[in-house]
Amino acid sequence: MRILKPFEYFEPVTVSDAVGLLATYGDKSRILAGGIDLIPRMRRREISADYLISIQKIPGLDYIQEQENAGLKFGALARLYALENFKGIKKNYPGLHAAIHQISSIQTKHMGTAVGNLCVATPASDVATALLTLGAELTVSGVSRERKIPIGQFFLENNRTSLHGDEMVTGVNLPHPPNGMRTAFLNLFRTHSDIAKVSVAVAVVFEDGLCKEARIAIGAAAPTVFRAVNAEKALAGRKLNSKMIDEAAKIAAEETRPITDMRSTAEYRKSMSELLVRKALERTLESPKV
Amino acid sequence: MTQELSVVGKRLPYWAAQDKATGAAKYTADIKLPNLLVGRVLTSPHAHAVIKKIDKSAAEKLPGVEAVITWEDIPHKLFNPNIQDITLHMPQAVIKDAYIISEKARFVGDVIGAVAAVDEATAEQALGLIKVEYDILPAVFDMAEAMKPGAPLIHDFAKNNISMHMNFPVAWGNVQDGFQQADVSVEAAFQTSKQHTAQLEPLSCIAQFDASGRLTVWSPNQRFFIVRSKLAELFDIPEGRIRVISHHMGGGFGKMADMGAEPICVALAKKSGKPVKVQYSREEDLFGTWTREAYIESGKLGARKDGTLTALSMSILVHSGAYFNRSSATAIVTMGSFTGLYRCPNVAAEMTAVYTNIPCSGGSRGYGVPEAYYLLEQLVDMTAEKIGMDPMAMRMKNLKQLGDPGLVGLPLETPTQEKCIRLGAEKIGWQEKRSRKKEDGNIRRGIGMATYLDVSGGQPFDIQDRNIEIKINEDGSANLYIGISDMGQNLLGASAQIAAEVMGLRYEDIHIVYGDTDYCSFDAGTYANSGCYQIGNAVMKAAAEVKKLILERAAGKLGVTPDKLDIRDRRILVRDNPSKSVSIGEISKDCIYNHAGQHLNIFGKASFSPAQNPYPTGAVFADVEVNTETGGVKVARLLLVHDAGRLINPATVEGQLQGAMALGIGYTLFEDYYINPRTGVLESNNYNTYKLPSTLDLPELEVELVEEPTPSGPFGAKGVGMSGIMGIPAAIANAIYHACGVRIREMPITPERVLKALKEKVV
Amino acid sequence: MKKEICNFRINGRPYELLVAPNTTLSDLLREQLDLTGTKCSCGVGECGSCTVLVDGKPTLSCSTLAVTARDKDILTIEGLSRGTELHPIQKAFIDHGAIQCGYCTPGMIIMAKALLDNNPAPTLEEVKEAMAGNICRCTGYVKIIDAVIAAAHMMRKGGN
Repeated sequence: MRILKPFEYFEPVTVSDAVGLLATYGDKSRILAGGIDLIPRMRRREISADYLISIQKIPGLDYIQEQENAGLKFGALARLYALENFKGIKKNYPGLHAAIHQISSIQTKHMGTAVGNLCVATPASDVATALLTLGAELTVSGVSRERKIPIGQFFLENNRTSLHGDEMVTGVNLPHPPNGMRTAFLNLFRTHSDIAKVSVAVAVVFEDGLCKEARIAIGAAAPTVFRAVNAEKALAGRKLNSKMIDEAAKIAAEETRPITDMRSTAEYRKSMSELLVRKALERTLESPKV
Repeated sequence: MTQELSVVGKRLPYWAAQDKATGAAKYTADIKLPNLLVGRVLTSPHAHAVIKKIDKSAAEKLPGVEAVITWEDIPHKLFNPNIQDITLHMPQAVIKDAYIISEKARFVGDVIGAVAAVDEATAEQALGLIKVEYDILPAVFDMAEAMKPGAPLIHDFAKNNISMHMNFPVAWGNVQDGFQQADVSVEAAFQTSKQHTAQLEPLSCIAQFDASGRLTVWSPNQRFFIVRSKLAELFDIPEGRIRVISHHMGGGFGKMADMGAEPICVALAKKSGKPVKVQYSREEDLFGTWTREAYIESGKLGARKDGTLTALSMSILVHSGAYFNRSSATAIVTMGSFTGLYRCPNVAAEMTAVYTNIPCSGGSRGYGVPEAYYLLEQLVDMTAEKIGMDPMAMRMKNLKQLGDPGLVGLPLETPTQEKCIRLGAEKIGWQEKRSRKKEDGNIRRGIGMATYLDVSGGQPFDIQDRNIEIKINEDGSANLYIGISDMGQNLLGASAQIAAEVMGLRYEDIHIVYGDTDYCSFDAGTYANSGCYQIGNAVMKAAAEVKKLILERAAGKLGVTPDKLDIRDRRILVRDNPSKSVSIGEISKDCIYNHAGQHLNIFGKASFSPAQNPYPTGAVFADVEVNTETGGVKVARLLLVHDAGRLINPATVEGQLQGAMALGIGYTLFEDYYINPRTGVLESNNYNTYKLPSTLDLPELEVELVEEPTPSGPFGAKGVGMSGIMGIPAAIANAIYHACGVRIREMPITPERVLKALKEKVV
Repeated sequence: MKKEICNFRINGRPYELLVAPNTTLSDLLREQLDLTGTKCSCGVGECGSCTVLVDGKPTLSCSTLAVTARDKDILTIEGLSRGTELHPIQKAFIDHGAIQCGYCTPGMIIMAKALLDNNPAPTLEEVKEAMAGNICRCTGYVKIIDAVIAAAHMMRKGGN
């Protein structure tokens, strides 16, 4: 197939209109933000959308705002390129910055939105993996209500989120990183533009030389991105030395449920999860504050 | 040769670069015609199935549908899209086992029908309305399974799915004796992979019958004259009633020397009575055009303890896939390269081609030679290690020398191989890096090499005839007629440089007319590195004829005999009295507008059939880093030292070599044509899943050229196109072994495979 | 599905066109306007050969609906040169042998323009990163990168 199937096209100018359309047309409808994932999949007939609801004309969704020591938020139309180049993100959320930076196509980053990336809900999303460690919270609008979904509750399975049929994500809030938090992001891939074989993001909050809290997120090693909570528990309150790190990495690998596909084997993904978690935790011992 | 050259040897802009840089260059998909219909193919969703019944009626009735064709609508003539049956001197090497539309589904993606409609949407809808009744058969995707007794039979004639077994006909000596004489012998087996050319332009074609029934076909093809003859045979149309136009191609890489969408496009144009354009999607191109040949290749090398070879033997299982295509042609090249690279008194080789229900293997850049060296050059390294000898030194001991028969039996013309090896070794720091102490850390560094001989065309096995014409315009400029297409190799520019040099014109004085069977004479096609060497020679001959006519005419004007004249800078000058001269423009104008009735058609034509085959040669050195924690392989340095004879245009030669090196890296490390082992479906069916290297995935591609003119080449040039890839996989594999002691049986050499091998090695 | 009349500004020229929403920008350019310089090679946004500039931003036209590009400034490869007067990037590509089959070339040149408009003096690494979303099968990228760096030089010296 070389062309898209016909569809009804809408350009609502308010969020309320957009979700109203979602409610009307249900699962035959899709939101169009950047389109960088949606359009190719529609062309390949992997997604069928009889009703396409563009949010590109809704004003006020492309914000990226920092609040003085109160975190950062960005809207549904904040492009990956803008996020990558936003000083506050490089400074305060270097793990997220690293995850976006290593997306190799500049065109993709100009067109693609972080929210769109999250809504695809692929377990291989580097951006999702990084955000999962940052306490991100998605603001969601539906026909009759607004709500917030912590990112840990957003991904249900491959390509499925916890959004209801009439809901769209309007933005993401990131709390200000706790004092003493250090982050790292690592992944492995075939070529630079390929989806990761496995990706790991960690955020460790240090206090008095101990690991107060560890957040370990793994991508492409389970049906969704996930937090290795057992590994995190093993580290909480402990001193982060190489023995602890090794142990945590092993536990984290046990929490993965990887598959064999064209990019890698289950065995390799499990093994590399352990390696990358170890290396990422080691990085937090070296990296500058935050 | 110390002649002063003013055009040859210069880094002049590629011919048509301006058109390509401005978007003006039209590729087949860009061409529009009035009433052009959209052609789409219907492919089988099953890997192996009998087609019981096809009901076209609903599709035919859809408004806007102008033709729906299935097997019953096409000529029932078996053919092989590699169309080498009419050019190879040994035609029995080509098995014709396919129809334009398949009568049975033999792989997921096999073409079983086609439609032509007024637009894409209607064509797609029509495809959906064609009702096909299949009798699904069990399928096999693995050669071993396919050869087992009782395996599903894919082609009726091929018992156990074996289409052909061949002993290499050019074998010599006695390998049994040879192995007995050996002090050491080493064996290895490797599985090469189905790299896809993945050229940027997806397959396309336009076919149009005019009101008198004359057929015009626009098709990007490396051998479009042969395509014309094949279409003539398939459709019972005399060649003279078929015009094939092949101008700009978005990549060829050898794959486009096969017939592509032409037969189906012509069939649709015939049935509909309207012009039809077929454009494959990227997915259709990846499963519907053929990959590099996939082998399980095993070999044995015997040598004395001083490193001299006593015996070489090789056995290839060719994984043809669903149809035969080039299974024997590439295997013969592989066997010839394996046995022909070094001096060896006893050689033997054999091949067996096996059908399975997967998309076919064909031939791509290298055409079986990189595969041959992948096995041979690793055997050499393994042997050198066993003997305790530097592998480079072992190679030197066995190189072919001047006058020795080379890969295709014809003699070597220049002895540059050793020079290339030594130069490369020095540049990369071979001695120092080979004896480098092994590091303790997780990153292991290693250096490996491979050497190669390549060809300048398919002679003496294949028709390689060239025909060139040159006419002179009123102003003294020239039209150069070359019957080839342009896939970016700038053979057209190089030809213009050669013509200009001989005729004393400037590069910009040459206008090229090309790629059209109506305007150009027969050309055998651009593949197997034939272009620069063969067409260059033909151009030289034709230009020499033109020069002769001009000099004769000018001699009259200048009052001397022609042998006293020189031609350069668009002027003819008396050698001993250069102020006495006349411009080529004056001469040509006078030949055309001559009131004394002394009209002369200044026209040169030449035919060329190569009697020699000078061997491009060189060596590749790879410096790699293996991460023993991840299995990841990083090529830190890749150096190619190459002899292409005289460089007609150095930028062109460098560009060809660099591109081939990149292709080689993709082949060795990244590109995985991933077929689902249960369903036979190609899952890596677009660029997001079939990964080509980007700017970030390649090391610096270093090219060092050793320019030694070869006696039979035009100004001493050899062929170029494929050479850059020949030694890449072997050099990288040898470097990996040096770094961390493992050889990987399967390609691509992925981190998964390396890590697994490292773990098993420890155990 | 309703077709709409949309206004486009392509290479500085206004167009008023009847466009179906399911038309991609690359199809609008190639099929409706015969601006076939922009190529479509993969249709999944991976190869970059469909790259055009939309309001100065490098955009994959195969993954962009034409209707979303209306009322914006669109630059295609055809818009870079004027008759025989070439843009420095085009000149550099020609001079450095950076064009072989040419299929990736329009996308490469447009992406290079986006880079140099934003960063007139890129390092070698920055050029490689900028061009990472454009695939070439012929050149191994060596001469393409040379050309972009040379073009940057030329443009800093002589304007454009």
